[in-house]
Amino acid sequence: MRAILSALKALALCLVAAVFLLPMLWLVLSSFKGTQELVAWPPRFLPKAWTLANYAAGLRYGDFPRFFANTAIATAASTLLSVSISAMAGYAFAKYRFPGRDAIFVAILATLMFSLEVILIPMFLTLKQFGLINSLWGIIIPPAATPTGIFLMRQYCLGLPDELLEAARMDGAGEGLIFARVVLPLAGTVLSTLTIFSFVWRWNDFMWPFLVINDDELQTVQLALANFVGQYAVEWGGLLAMTSLSMLPMLLVFLVFQRYFMKGIAMTGLKA
Amino acid sequence: MGDTVSAGRRRMRQYPAWVPYAFIAPSVLIFALFIVWPALNGFYQSVFTRGIIVRPDIPGLGAAYVGLANYERVLGDERFLSALGNTLLFSAATVPLIMLLSLALALVLQKRFRGVGAARAVVYWPSMISFIMVGIAWKWILNFESGIANYLLGLAGSPKVGWLVSPSLAMASIVGVSAWASAGFYMVMYIGGLNSIPEVYYEAALIDGASSLERFRYVTLPLLRPTILLVMVLATINCFKVYQQSRVLTAGGPGRATVFLVQNIYEEAFKLPNSVGYASAQSALFFLVMLALTLVQLRLGGRDGEA
Repeated sequence: MRAILSALKALALCLVAAVFLLPMLWLVLSSFKGTQELVAWPPRFLPKAWTLANYAAGLRYGDFPRFFANTAIATAASTLLSVSISAMAGYAFAKYRFPGRDAIFVAILATLMFSLEVILIPMFLTLKQFGLINSLWGIIIPPAATPTGIFLMRQYCLGLPDELLEAARMDGAGEGLIFARVVLPLAGTVLSTLTIFSFVWRWNDFMWPFLVINDDELQTVQLALANFVGQYAVEWGGLLAMTSLSMLPMLLVFLVFQRYFMKGIAMTGLKA
Repeated sequence: MGDTVSAGRRRMRQYPAWVPYAFIAPSVLIFALFIVWPALNGFYQSVFTRGIIVRPDIPGLGAAYVGLANYERVLGDERFLSALGNTLLFSAATVPLIMLLSLALALVLQKRFRGVGAARAVVYWPSMISFIMVGIAWKWILNFESGIANYLLGLAGSPKVGWLVSPSLAMASIVGVSAWASAGFYMVMYIGGLNSIPEVYYEAALIDGASSLERFRYVTLPLLRPTILLVMVLATINCFKVYQQSRVLTAGGPGRATVFLVQNIYEEAFKLPNSVGYASAQSALFFLVMLALTLVQLRLGGRDGEA
């Protein structure tokens, strides 16, 4: 009886895993099929003849190497900016006393209510005023400030002992030096968490590029994929290949840093 | 006496008063320029007629102060009302589905057994990638002519189904894909909540002879209430912002069956002349509906929590 029950449990578990794994796996496997086989009826699970033809076609179609470069540049720059300024602000909110501190902190958390989707049109007007429309800066600077990042860093810094900072001050260290040489080296875990989350958010982001970028050659991968799939006759081979390729960095990050995700979400429950 | 106190204070604070402000300045500047200012400007614009595409030659549509006329127009606008209806319908279907699905997954995958890490990773994976990528994968599966879904149905002897092209099924498909893609994220939140329930409560219930169903009903559910509430609020907010899924899967079709608020506002502002003010009024209403729903949920959750 017990054996049957545990076998049933294992079966149910495999079913759950299949439901969540197979759709994306099907996309990746299909991307390795030739043009004929892609629409062959009945379909085969594994490609009969593995081929990279779709990848070659996709990379030629609409300049995907450039889209990947745009995405990599914007993601790296925005993440660097985001982690730096979030670390600075989070540290200040945790370790300094100054007039207006709590009010400003609450106001920053309240900005979570105004996500891009809600202020799409006025955001476009603002970006236009600052000359950020149709520029990679437009998808680097505005999304860099995140309440989540500041909140995480503040929580972490609250745990640092004041005596540590006092001792550094006694030794004559300036405030900038204390932050760079004492606080940052101790904050490795939280800085990594922030970096990974920011990387994933920016790489996957569609809404900011959608609003900011008009020129074809400035497109990010997500924007290009969305435009690609919106055409009347979808060119499936290239599309599946480019989608698989754009999943690859996320897969690498996920495999290496899986624990950070589970912990990060359990800690904040926030998703930008 | 007073001297020693002030001397002590001086020793405590050996940095200039502007230092903390310098640390928060970059973040505050970006928030001010790119959230606070656009948000305020949105409300301001909503009482004017202005355009991203400006056509002063169209009579009655020049940049002019129009008071609440934009809001009045919204309330009689069939396109807006149908997008609002679609968004409400989508959320009403997706939020409960997400809540049940992710809780069920969390209950199964909270336990420690061989392979649980891999199972959690597999369920979480769709949340790691964009709705664009998820949408493309499902469009490939659900596509009418050569999609594998219709092939499998064919094996079972069923005719092809228009997953994305029939009005009733298109909405259901977007609901299903959205819930599938988000379940892993909320599952992780639920697991966090479940892990924070002290083991002793379960032991006590066990000693009292509670069945596993009773333990779930009288221990797990009440103690999980804050997490359930948080999941509900976050899922509702995220559902209200739905756009990417429908853009990839149906482009809003068939007809306008899956046009949601975000798409409607965007098209209003960017495709029609002199309509920034009008689109801003739609955004303002969109925000107010979302805010109201969040407050109601928090209120209900809080009150039940006290009882």
